[in-house]
Amino acid sequence: MEEVKLIIDGNNITVPGGSTVLEAARSAGIRIPTLCCHERLEPIGSCKMCFVQINGCAEPQQACKTRVQDTMQVTTDSEQLFSMRRESLRELLLRHPLDCPVCDKAGECLLQDLAYEFGVTDVHQHVNATFETFYPTSLIRYWPERCIVCKRCVTACAEIKQLGAIDIKGEGPTAQVYPAKPERCESCGECLQVCPTGALTENLSRYKTRPWLSKRVMTTCTYCGCGCQMQLNVMNNRVVGMTVPNVFGVNKGSLCVKGRFGYEFINSPERLKKPLIRKNGTLQETTWEEALGLVASQFSRIKKEYGRDSIAGISSARCTNEENYLFQKFMRAVIGTNNVDHCARL
Amino acid sequence: MSETKTMTINMGPHHPATHGVLRLVLELEGETIVNATPHIGQLHRGIEKLAENMNYQQVIPLTDRLDYTAASLNNLGYCMTVEKLMGIDVPKRARYIRVIMSELARIMGHHLWLGSHALDIGAMTVVFYAFKDREKIMNINEELSGYRLTPSFLRIGGVAKDVTPDFIRSVREFIEVFPEALEGYHRLLTDNIIWRKRTMNIGTLSADEAMSWGFTGPSLRGSGVAYDVRKAFPYSSYDDFDFEIPVGDNGDVYDRYLVRMEEFKQSLKIIRQAVENLPEGPVNVDNPLVTNPAIEDVTEDISALIRRFKIQCEGPTAPAEEVYHAVEGSKGELGFYLVGDGTAQPYRLKIRSPCFLLTSALPRLIRGHMLSDVIAIIGSLDIVLGEIDR
Repeated sequence: MEEVKLIIDGNNITVPGGSTVLEAARSAGIRIPTLCCHERLEPIGSCKMCFVQINGCAEPQQACKTRVQDTMQVTTDSEQLFSMRRESLRELLLRHPLDCPVCDKAGECLLQDLAYEFGVTDVHQHVNATFETFYPTSLIRYWPERCIVCKRCVTACAEIKQLGAIDIKGEGPTAQVYPAKPERCESCGECLQVCPTGALTENLSRYKTRPWLSKRVMTTCTYCGCGCQMQLNVMNNRVVGMTVPNVFGVNKGSLCVKGRFGYEFINSPERLKKPLIRKNGTLQETTWEEALGLVASQFSRIKKEYGRDSIAGISSARCTNEENYLFQKFMRAVIGTNNVDHCARL
Repeated sequence: MSETKTMTINMGPHHPATHGVLRLVLELEGETIVNATPHIGQLHRGIEKLAENMNYQQVIPLTDRLDYTAASLNNLGYCMTVEKLMGIDVPKRARYIRVIMSELARIMGHHLWLGSHALDIGAMTVVFYAFKDREKIMNINEELSGYRLTPSFLRIGGVAKDVTPDFIRSVREFIEVFPEALEGYHRLLTDNIIWRKRTMNIGTLSADEAMSWGFTGPSLRGSGVAYDVRKAFPYSSYDDFDFEIPVGDNGDVYDRYLVRMEEFKQSLKIIRQAVENLPEGPVNVDNPLVTNPAIEDVTEDISALIRRFKIQCEGPTAPAEEVYHAVEGSKGELGFYLVGDGTAQPYRLKIRSPCFLLTSALPRLIRGHMLSDVIAIIGSLDIVLGEIDR
C-alpha cells in the first residue's frame, strides 16, 4: 500500500494509506482521548471525544473515522477541542447515576478517568428515564443507568463473536442495550470485557473488591487445551474476579463462558482435596499412597482375572497434550489395551 | 608524675535534656569537654521513603511529625512545595489563614523551647508558665482542626476548611493576653543573675562561622546575621505584613535566647495583622483536579462524585519536574526538595532539616565548656530529633 505523509501537531508522520487519523496519531505517540474506540473493533464513532481540527475543514472531524490524506495538517489539542470534549463528557454524565462508591468498575473506569482529566464540573442532571434491566444471561448484569451507549458491546458481539445477540433500542436519553436475539447469547462475556464503564459487570464478583485492592495474577485457563491467557483478581488469597488484557495470548481478551465465569470452584468448600476410598459403604479420606496402591492392585487383579481388554480409559480435555499422550501410552503399554477415548472426541 | 586520663561518658539517648533521643558521646577531662560526638538516627521513621508510596495529599500528616513542636510550619513548607510543583496559586484568604496557623505554631515551638531550656538549666518555674500559655494555642488548634499538637490543617491548594468566627475570637483573645505573659517570662529570666551567668559567653559562635556551619533561623540570627526566609524570599503573602528580624550581637546562648524571646513578639505582631486584615473569599484553589468538591455537591452531582473519588483514591498528579521550596521554620530554614514523575506519588522527597545542621556544630560549640554547659547549648540550639532523624 502506498504511504501517506501528513502533519499532526507539527510532527511529520508517514503512515500507510487507508489508516485513520487516530491510528496515525497513535503510531507517533500522540494521544487523542477516546471512549468508544477499541483496539479489537472497527471504529464506532459514538463518543464524540476524538474530534480533531483538520486544515481545510470548517468543523472538527472525528479522528477515528477520518482517513489520512497527503499533506493533511491535523491539530489534536486546542482550547476549542478541549471544551468540546468536556461538553461531550458532560452530556454522557447527564444520566449517569451516583454509583461510583458502589460500582465495581470505579478506579479503572474510562468515563471516570476522562471526566476527572477534563475537569468536568456542574452536571445538572435532569434525565429520569426508567429502564428495563433484562439481560439474556444471569452471569452478566446490565446497569442501564450507567450505560453511556458507546455501542462497544454491541459491536463486539457482532464483530468478534459474530453473534449479534444484543442491540441498542431507544433514542437519546432513553437508549439502552437490550437482548435482540437472546437465544444466540453464549454468556461469553465479550460485552463486559469491552465495556468502558461499569454498565456491564459480572454478576459473581459484585462488591467483593476494588481494582486497586486486588492483585492481578496472569495465568492460563485450565478448562481446555486452547491456552487462553487470563488475569485472576485475587484478594485475601481468594479469587474474586477475572480480567483479561486485550493484548496477550491467543485469545486477545476473549474467553468462553467457562473461562470467564467458572472460577468459583477454586475456593469451593466442596472441592475434593484428598483422595477418598469407599470402605464399608462410606467414603473415607486417605493418603495418595494408599489410594494409588489400591488402584494399581485392582488394575492388576482385573487384568489377571478378566483379561486386558476388560479395562478402558477415558481422558479429559482439561489435561495438556503431554498428559494425554502419557495417558494413552500408559493404557497401551502398561495395561495393554487399545480401549482409549477422550471426552472431546465428539 | 601522674598521667592525665580522659573519661568517656554517654549522654542520652534517654536523657531528658537532649530534646528527644540524641546520644552524645562526651570525652571529659575532669569536668571539661575535650571532644563530643553526636549520634543521631534513633528516631528514624523513614518519612522520606514513606512519602514515595503515598499520594501527595497523604504525605501532609507525615510532615506534622518532623518538627512536632511547630507542626503547621512543616505543613506549610510541604504544601507550598507541592503547589510549586503543580503550579497552583493559593487564594489570599487561605494564605492569611496559613500565616496565622504558622505563626501560632512558631509561638508554640518557642514555648516548648523556653520551658524546657529553662528547666534544663534549673529554672523550673518557667516551664509551668510556658506550658500554660502553650495550652491556649493547643486549644485553638483543637477547636479548628480537632488535633492539638499535629493539626494537619493545611491542604494542597489551601486549607481544610474555612475558619469560624469562634476561631478568630480565640486568636484575638490570645493576642490580648499573651504580651503580659511574655513580660512574665522576661521577669523570670532576662535579668536573672543565675540565668545570665549560665548563658552569657557560653557556646559563642561568630557570624562567619555560623554561616559556614549552615546555621539558619534564630540560631543564626543570634550570631548577628539578619537572614529570615520570610523576608529574604517572601512566601504565602508574608510581604504584606510589617515585622522585624531580631538579631543578637555575640552569638552566645543568651543572645539566641533574646532573639527567640523577641520572635514571640514579632510573631504576635504578624498574627494581629493577619487577623485584622483577613480577606474574604475562598480558602481553596478553584482547580477541579486538586480541590475536593463540597460534600453537598457529591450527593447530587456525578462530576463532583467522580472528582472526589479520584482525588481521594488516587490523588492529583504532578508533572515530572523537580522543585525546592523553603519556609522559615521555628528552628531555621525548613526546605523540601520534591521530584515528581507524572504520577500521583512523589518520586523523591528530600527534607532539608535545619536541626540537622545545628546538631553538626554541637562538637564545635561544646568543646572546652563544662559538662553542665552542654545542656545549655543544646537547649539554645532548640533541636528536635523528629526532624533530624525523619
